[in-house]
Amino acid sequence: MAETYGALSTRLHRAAWAAYAPVNSGGTGQALGPVQEAASAEALFTDQKEAFDAVVIDAGQAEAGRLAKAASALGKPVLAGVVGDGFNTLGQADALLMPAQPWRFMPSIQSVKRSLDAGKLGQAGLLRIHRWLPPGADADSLAERILPDADLACWLFGGAPETVWSLQSAANPDYIQFHLGFANDGMAMIDVAASLPSGGDYFSLTMIGGTGAAYADDHHNMNLLYGGGQPNALRASQGRADLVGQLQEFVDAIGEQREPSVTPADTEQAMAVVAQVLESAESQQVIGRKEGN
Amino acid sequence: MAETKTFRAGVFSVVKHCYLPRAVAAHPRFELIVVADDANQPDWVHERNQKFADEFGIPYVRDVAKAIAEYDLDLAAVSPEAERHCDLGVRASDAGLHVIADKPMSTRLSECDRLVEAVRRNNVKFMLWNRNYLPAVIQAKDAIANGAIGELQAIHVDFYFSKDAGPPKGTRREGDPPINWLDRQMEAHADGSDGGVGVEAMGELEIEGIYPLGYIHLLTGQNVQRVFARTATHFHQANADNNVDDLATVSLEMGEGIVGSLCIGRIGAASHPDIGEIKIHAIGSKGGLVITEARPEVSIHYRDQPPLEFKNERIANENDFLLMDDFARALDTGSEPILNAQNGRDIAATVFAAVESGKTGQPVEITH
Repeated sequence: MAETYGALSTRLHRAAWAAYAPVNSGGTGQALGPVQEAASAEALFTDQKEAFDAVVIDAGQAEAGRLAKAASALGKPVLAGVVGDGFNTLGQADALLMPAQPWRFMPSIQSVKRSLDAGKLGQAGLLRIHRWLPPGADADSLAERILPDADLACWLFGGAPETVWSLQSAANPDYIQFHLGFANDGMAMIDVAASLPSGGDYFSLTMIGGTGAAYADDHHNMNLLYGGGQPNALRASQGRADLVGQLQEFVDAIGEQREPSVTPADTEQAMAVVAQVLESAESQQVIGRKEGN
Repeated sequence: MAETKTFRAGVFSVVKHCYLPRAVAAHPRFELIVVADDANQPDWVHERNQKFADEFGIPYVRDVAKAIAEYDLDLAAVSPEAERHCDLGVRASDAGLHVIADKPMSTRLSECDRLVEAVRRNNVKFMLWNRNYLPAVIQAKDAIANGAIGELQAIHVDFYFSKDAGPPKGTRREGDPPINWLDRQMEAHADGSDGGVGVEAMGELEIEGIYPLGYIHLLTGQNVQRVFARTATHFHQANADNNVDDLATVSLEMGEGIVGSLCIGRIGAASHPDIGEIKIHAIGSKGGLVITEARPEVSIHYRDQPPLEFKNERIANENDFLLMDDFARALDTGSEPILNAQNGRDIAATVFAAVESGKTGQPVEITH
């Protein structure tokens, strides 16, 4: 990932990479440019803590939690993905803590959210997501896999669902669909599969509001490649604008001494919804209030 | 070349936007002979029946039994208000006529059951109007049948009609009476959005649910066994005033362990440049399939284009012709039409179960 982050460095305002430490690998920070390097994160936090102002952690859950706690203890702002023990164990620290939820910063999702926030779509009515992945593309567990979708639903509706119903496929353990009911008759229907053949993934998000609708749809954004036989579809790429947007928000929140747009509470809320989704799939019960809509 | 019979069709009421009897008339194997309805129908029904009869130069008879007795009919094209579909269908069946009926099948499952029994008892053919011969739906069917995505595991249909349906929700002023459903539907006749014409108010699930559920039935070959639904009124005052949905989401559990979902709504003309986003998503053991139901289409844009004119025009749409071909084949060979009475009844049962689930907030089992 150092190469990915290094490629973004010229696009960040008021920030530059200053130090690097590998996590569970022998990689180098060369791709980040002229930075100080340490043999490990522990060494970096102990011996070179003056070399950097904030910490970006890209690691697995257990490592991310441990390192986020250590960085927070130093008073350093932290941007980290899902942490093993949950963000509530870190949220007491005074230092800024921003969960990494890059899906929120995808240009297509940002566009939908802006339209919703500007009132163009009216009151959010229906969120429809289809997200299909090749096996092993993204997450270690089903819970981790569906976290982005649960988070997007909560974010776009402005809160947690009141009811949750989910179904799994007996024939496909890498498939789940869930049906969320929000306040004011809002609803979300989401299917996530990690069983595509290896290769490309697919994402489609529709938000239908009382006065308009937004469609962020890979199907609509396909180009064609002819090389004999049936043509192949080439998705028009959104690049890594998601990571740029996320990093810039982290930097801006630090600079402006404000809460970032993604908070630990957001992630905790999404994780709670994920737990309800899995509980519903297991129990075949509606989770939440029992009366009708 | 062997001579083929031309089937004589009676039009048993034609109060909606009349696509069904027009499709019958357009097929070379069928001929419209007479329009018929009951004498006790209100004036507006007689006016619409008469107008259609005049356009086609055929008589309008205000007595269904008399029309059956005097015009040597082979079939009835049944297209009254939804609550009368089954009754006219049963009467036609009992007279030995084959039946093509408009959707929805009925506003009551008991009526659907009565029709299924009448069709069986009289050994006639019945086809419920559907869109299963749209080019993209055929493409989806072929891909799945050919094993392109392996064994089907999950199927989802998005079915959003971007049409308006009268005043937006929230526009009724204090003191104004609620919108009368039939009045609103009669007003909608002018722009063809009177799919729910009838005295009994119907939500979007009841009016249009047959189409996407028809796709699912075609592509899976399975009945829905359990549903969980949420229903809401988000867009239209007429729906709010009559306590019927204009937006619904339904989780589906089908035979052979197939799961799926339906999202459906009449989401307003502003929400899409064309008739609406209508898609099929299917996941199989070997891959996935994403189909846009409107394709193939041609985009047409021009100066001073009316704002509500669709910018993308469906082309090569032979659904009406192929449905009638299918029905002619059923009459010729005894095969079952693409969506027969039992299929229609099973889809109606799914719709009614979804409406119930939306009200109770609980999953509902479906009995077939």
